[in-house]
Amino acid sequence: MRRSLTLFVTLFLLWVLTGQINHLLSAWRVSIFLGGLYIVFAALRLRRNEGLFTVFAAGLMFDAHAPMWFGCHALLFATAHIVVFRFRTRIPRDDSLFIIVVALLANLGIYLGISFTAFHDLPSSANIWPRLLTDLVVSQVVLALVAPWFLALQARAMEIAGVDLRLEQPGMR
Amino acid sequence: MLPQRLFQSRPFLTLAVVFVVWLILPLFVKRALRVSFFELQAPVDLTASYVRDLQDYWALRTRSTNDLIAAGRDLARLNASYEMTLQQNATLRREVERLEALLQLPAFAEYRSEVARVARRDFNGWWQHMTLRKGRNYGIVEGAPVIFTGGVVGRVQKVGLYTCEVEMISSPGFRLAAVIEGDARPISYQGSENPSLGPAKGIAEYVPLDILATPTAPKRMVTSGLGGVFPAGLLIGDLVRLEGSGDGLFKTGDVRLDPRLSEISEATILVPVKPAGY
Repeated sequence: MRRSLTLFVTLFLLWVLTGQINHLLSAWRVSIFLGGLYIVFAALRLRRNEGLFTVFAAGLMFDAHAPMWFGCHALLFATAHIVVFRFRTRIPRDDSLFIIVVALLANLGIYLGISFTAFHDLPSSANIWPRLLTDLVVSQVVLALVAPWFLALQARAMEIAGVDLRLEQPGMR
Repeated sequence: MLPQRLFQSRPFLTLAVVFVVWLILPLFVKRALRVSFFELQAPVDLTASYVRDLQDYWALRTRSTNDLIAAGRDLARLNASYEMTLQQNATLRREVERLEALLQLPAFAEYRSEVARVARRDFNGWWQHMTLRKGRNYGIVEGAPVIFTGGVVGRVQKVGLYTCEVEMISSPGFRLAAVIEGDARPISYQGSENPSLGPAKGIAEYVPLDILATPTAPKRMVTSGLGGVFPAGLLIGDLVRLEGSGDGLFKTGDVRLDPRLSEISEATILVPVKPAGY
């Protein structure tokens, strides 16, 4: 529970910062989405159910404001978490570059998932894709830039909370 | 072999269980969760908004006295102009009431204006939303129209205790009954794409064939008053391009929205105080 709560606090901080950046970027009609960052640490470093619980709660944070059916973000986050978790034994967990690549791929998957869910019933959805692609490119760049800082912040938060991540098993528990 | 495969697929079994549990979870639990997360985030948005206001305040304190005098002079001129408009409005209102009484017409819907600061804007490709710093504590209700000096902003979609969420007119899911200024035939407005680094656009549908609009000679689109949400006559945007629709019976076109929508920092919520008599 302590692990989940600690991780949730860091994810809440990321949500706050992303919201403020998007507020400032709104004048240029650009937006960033960092969904991949919400799941990567939990999927690679925490136990399955703890990580799943945390990313699901983080998804509900998005759902509270989104004009979509409640739980859409949470279930997409949970799916991405499980997929990354399933392959975590094959990912070098101490190599930052690999972790960032995993976060980028997860971000891409979640972003496309939300896009298809949000637009499957809109008549003019074809015109909206250029904007979505622009936002996706900007999001991926920002994610690659902030991921090292945010992952270090999460690891440090775990240390402060007294969680020894070296004792976590890399397997599928 | 089978137990090993089962062990490897356990994460996906867990995910399937999560999906099933979420689908069968009672609606009131989901609603309680939604409200809880919404209210959990509200203080963050409010605090950030007040901090930005404080920054603006200290930035304004650095302005010279001459700037302030000039701003005061401009405001005085604006106030004089508004004073005149208020007097004209009062005369017109009395005239409308007299005609309503004379012809025994049902009264128009009445609204109370609530000016609210913008706490957060969220304009992504999927939707355009903003959070205002007033909620149920000011009697804001879901579906209330939101306007600003440039016309329609959107409508209130969710209401929290201290904040409310507004769906912007530029949001792709937003629909509204409209008319061309000076023409009584209703047409449909829908939010459309929001290109990066450019102003938002909308789409006009079911436009009569005799209406012409070009970028050099645009037509003003205003609310029709149909539907009972928005009062009639509020500016939506300019119809700048029209082309024949697929069925040949109507035209479809682009609507240019006010570019100030992207930087809006204050809006007015029209809270209905009396239901329309229609």
